[in-house]
Amino acid sequence: MSEDHQIPPTSSISRWLFTTNHKDVGILYLVTSLYFLFLSGTLALLLRTQLAVPNNTFLSSAAYNQAFTTHGLIMVLWFLSPFAFSFANYIVPLQIGARDLAFPRINALSYWLYLFSGIMLLVSFFVGPADGGWTVYAPLNTARYSPNIGLNLTAGALVLFIVSITISSVNFITTILKMRAPGMKLMQMPMFTWSILITVFMMLYAFPSFLAGVSMLMVDRTLGTMYFSAPEGGSLLWDHVFWFFGHPEVYIVLFPAIGAVGDMIPSFTRRPLYGRKYIILGLIIAAVVSFMVWGHHMFVTGYDPLVAKIFTLTTIAVSLPFDVIVVAFIESLVRAKIKLKTPALFALGSIMLFIIGGVTGVFLGSVAIDHHLRGTYWVVAHFHYVMVGGGAVALIGALYYWFPKITGRMYKESLGKLHFALSFIGFNLLYFPMFINYDMPRRVVTYAEQAWAFNNFLATIGAFVFGLAQLLLLYNLFTSMRSGAPAGSNPWNAFTLEWATTSPPPDYNFEETPRVNSDGTVSLPKLTSFANGGTPSGYSAPHGLPHQSHLSPFPIILSALAFFALFGIVSLTFIPSASFSAGIVYLWIFFAALIMGGFAIYGFAREKFVAPEDETLEGWPFKNIGRMKMGIWTFMASEVIFFGVFIGAFLFIRAGTAEWPAIDTIFKIQHGAINTFILLTSSFTAVMAVVFSKKSSKGGVAASLALTLFLALWFLYNKATEWQELFHEGFTLSASPISSTYYITTGAHGAHVLGGIVALAVIIGGVLKGRYLGHDHGTVEYFGIYWHFVDIVWIFLFPLFYLL
Amino acid sequence: MVSNTSEIFIGLFNQFWFLGVLVSIVVLGLMTYLMLRFRDQGAKTPDPEDAPMLGKIPEDRGKIKTVAISLTLSSLILALLLGGTFGAIDAINNPPQGTLNVEVTGFQWGWKFKYPNNYQDTVMTVPKDEVVIVKIHSDDVFHSFGILEFKIKKDALNGRVNTIWFVARDAGEYNIVCYEFCGLGHTFMRTKLIVMEPNEFQDWYSKLKPGEIQHAPVQQGGQQP
Repeated sequence: MSEDHQIPPTSSISRWLFTTNHKDVGILYLVTSLYFLFLSGTLALLLRTQLAVPNNTFLSSAAYNQAFTTHGLIMVLWFLSPFAFSFANYIVPLQIGARDLAFPRINALSYWLYLFSGIMLLVSFFVGPADGGWTVYAPLNTARYSPNIGLNLTAGALVLFIVSITISSVNFITTILKMRAPGMKLMQMPMFTWSILITVFMMLYAFPSFLAGVSMLMVDRTLGTMYFSAPEGGSLLWDHVFWFFGHPEVYIVLFPAIGAVGDMIPSFTRRPLYGRKYIILGLIIAAVVSFMVWGHHMFVTGYDPLVAKIFTLTTIAVSLPFDVIVVAFIESLVRAKIKLKTPALFALGSIMLFIIGGVTGVFLGSVAIDHHLRGTYWVVAHFHYVMVGGGAVALIGALYYWFPKITGRMYKESLGKLHFALSFIGFNLLYFPMFINYDMPRRVVTYAEQAWAFNNFLATIGAFVFGLAQLLLLYNLFTSMRSGAPAGSNPWNAFTLEWATTSPPPDYNFEETPRVNSDGTVSLPKLTSFANGGTPSGYSAPHGLPHQSHLSPFPIILSALAFFALFGIVSLTFIPSASFSAGIVYLWIFFAALIMGGFAIYGFAREKFVAPEDETLEGWPFKNIGRMKMGIWTFMASEVIFFGVFIGAFLFIRAGTAEWPAIDTIFKIQHGAINTFILLTSSFTAVMAVVFSKKSSKGGVAASLALTLFLALWFLYNKATEWQELFHEGFTLSASPISSTYYITTGAHGAHVLGGIVALAVIIGGVLKGRYLGHDHGTVEYFGIYWHFVDIVWIFLFPLFYLL
Repeated sequence: MVSNTSEIFIGLFNQFWFLGVLVSIVVLGLMTYLMLRFRDQGAKTPDPEDAPMLGKIPEDRGKIKTVAISLTLSSLILALLLGGTFGAIDAINNPPQGTLNVEVTGFQWGWKFKYPNNYQDTVMTVPKDEVVIVKIHSDDVFHSFGILEFKIKKDALNGRVNTIWFVARDAGEYNIVCYEFCGLGHTFMRTKLIVMEPNEFQDWYSKLKPGEIQHAPVQQGGQQP
């Protein structure tokens, strides 16, 4: 690393490995997600080849199951969202007039965790792939029915992926709420930025549920707990946890596409978007309601008929905000001057496909119709119309739309139009016949029914047309990147701020920050004075800004170490006792990665990294809250869901267990009561530490924190002795669903206490060296927020396990 | 119609299909018309007065009236569909007094049927024109018991018994299919439903020996396609 973090040229490898600049990270996301698209698309072509004719034997059952599982996982998780977030990374800071995201290094960390999670998924694909579908239903996902290491590695990959998503959400929320150009009100943000803001909020609340579910699956498979193997939890518990995440996930992959369409429409119709505020309101309402409709994925599991009716109602109601959005898009075309360029064709084509996806989705929202359509090709056709038609097709339009901004050059228009025509025809030929085949079960390797043969054959032809057409996209972009006509700064004559800077933008985005005036006019910065399409030779910060850091080696190092630690522990738990030597190797990998990870985190924390905080930025409604504090609070919100799902799983299992042990028999009240007292006291000492820190009383802070540390250790000691006693009585992890929920829920809490202890040790070290005092009291305060949260969780756990 | 359940499904599905196709044609047709009508034809198409430009965030436009009209229209259509759904689901959920109870167990990979006289079979046999109540559960993983032509299904879960009912209208052979992915043999987790004339069924049923197992012997866990 060069001393002052100067940014090396794009030809340099260290630029791409160590960059923290949002535009570079965006390009990394773009390339990686496109790689996953083509990989997973190839799997889809294998699937369609197998299904082209009845009784085909091109793929074995095993190969087919692995292919559709990996296809689904990659497309939903490793392609769609990261593809959308390549634009979010590149475009959102430009659209709000910011110089970067709030936490540039965390952003790079998100990318590298995403990449390494993808690598772990690919590793799993080659050592024994997951083959239970992307929904990984229970109890097929348990060790008893799927004893392959591939599923463990897939779960590991999901954990890394979810961590990446979570920290990325925190980053975008903080950026969008705190770093807008002076004067830019929330309602003045471009549609794409709006959609990303709503998307990351959904991510923040949906993914922790998935993380909790995957964690339960992991401990079931490795430690022998019984969340999904015992009927008390089992199939239905997984269904609830998975679909509570799964339905919002559909909107998570869809919303950025809607936002991009909302930005493309004004540029190509030459009129402002119709009903902009109703579209935004519609997105917000749909996002909220998306957390109340998961039951429609479980209509035929046989749960209470009244609940099924309520879910029918919420599901059908959630189509109303989308109705508003689509009507507003269509109304935007009236008395416009529509320029049917490639991005416009993809955007408008995507709306058409989304309409078909939406209408066919209403069928599935009906509990009565779902009693036949559940698990059939109608479902397959519907969600491909929504996620590929509404999602991916619009995002491909977005790629054409922003390609000139990213590369400084235009793509070839005629090739683009050909690409659209083939894609649109191929898409409908691929998916529409599946509606006609609505009797056919999904996820079958073959079929004997001649009645289904013709439509399957059409679908396969369509798949090859649609799939091969995408090669035109690659060809067009690759050749245009070098030889396309120079684009100029604003080729579409658009009004959003990403077009107010050069193409590509300079490292620091704008010569000076744009300002939005109260009458809606924007004071634009003058364009940087280098030739269009080039990059400045040598880095110089704009006037008045501190020297901004651009490179850090820690994101990639931390991600790689997280990969190896997880890889080691997952593989270790899978080694049969016979191959002891292999076990030792994995143990070493785990410990080495863990120890090096500790050093890397320390290095990350101590690295001098400047991400300037400009006081004049628009920060409503969180004007007086610091960037870091905002980030911590946002993160805590996701932790609430994480523990909420563990507690929900406990209640679910408890409701399904006929005989629960009486109070004070297994879980002794006195153990719980003492620990409750200890933790409450430690919350008090943590508050004292903040007070002393503000007063710059070094001794006071050190003493309060040391007392907190002592109480935390005492808590864990009590916990350990209690566990030991219970184990001694045969109340082990795999004894019953009761013991499983107890150890894992209180264990997850204990792990948070342990995390607090590590943080405390580091902070106390700093305080003794004279840091974190007076103006620098933030760190002590952030720890306090975290610590109070850990205590509050215990306040819930104590009565749940000990008193009720 | 081959059963009361396929009658219920097709009746409701046709309602949805009719309204769905109608809405799609109107909306997609309108959209295509607008795209052609207002496409940029050079000088022939005037530049809109409110064309967005860099340096100014456009004023919001759009009337709440348009939103209200489209919301009202969709709500009416959806209310219609909701009414149909609630009627149909009550019929699906509430079996009348049954004349024949069959217990079905899903396992990796096949179905077992058990009759009131403890007779077991891997093929399901029922009389036509009589209420058949099916109690569904699973010995192992998540399956879904569906009768393809009858257009009815319910999940087979371990630790839980689900119920469906039907009245078959025509004698003949139908397909029983697993509709939830359940592992390697999922595709081939199929069997037949045989619907007999009532007297024929009585004849067949009375000759069964309790506890007997007919047809192919049930293999659990082993068979791999």
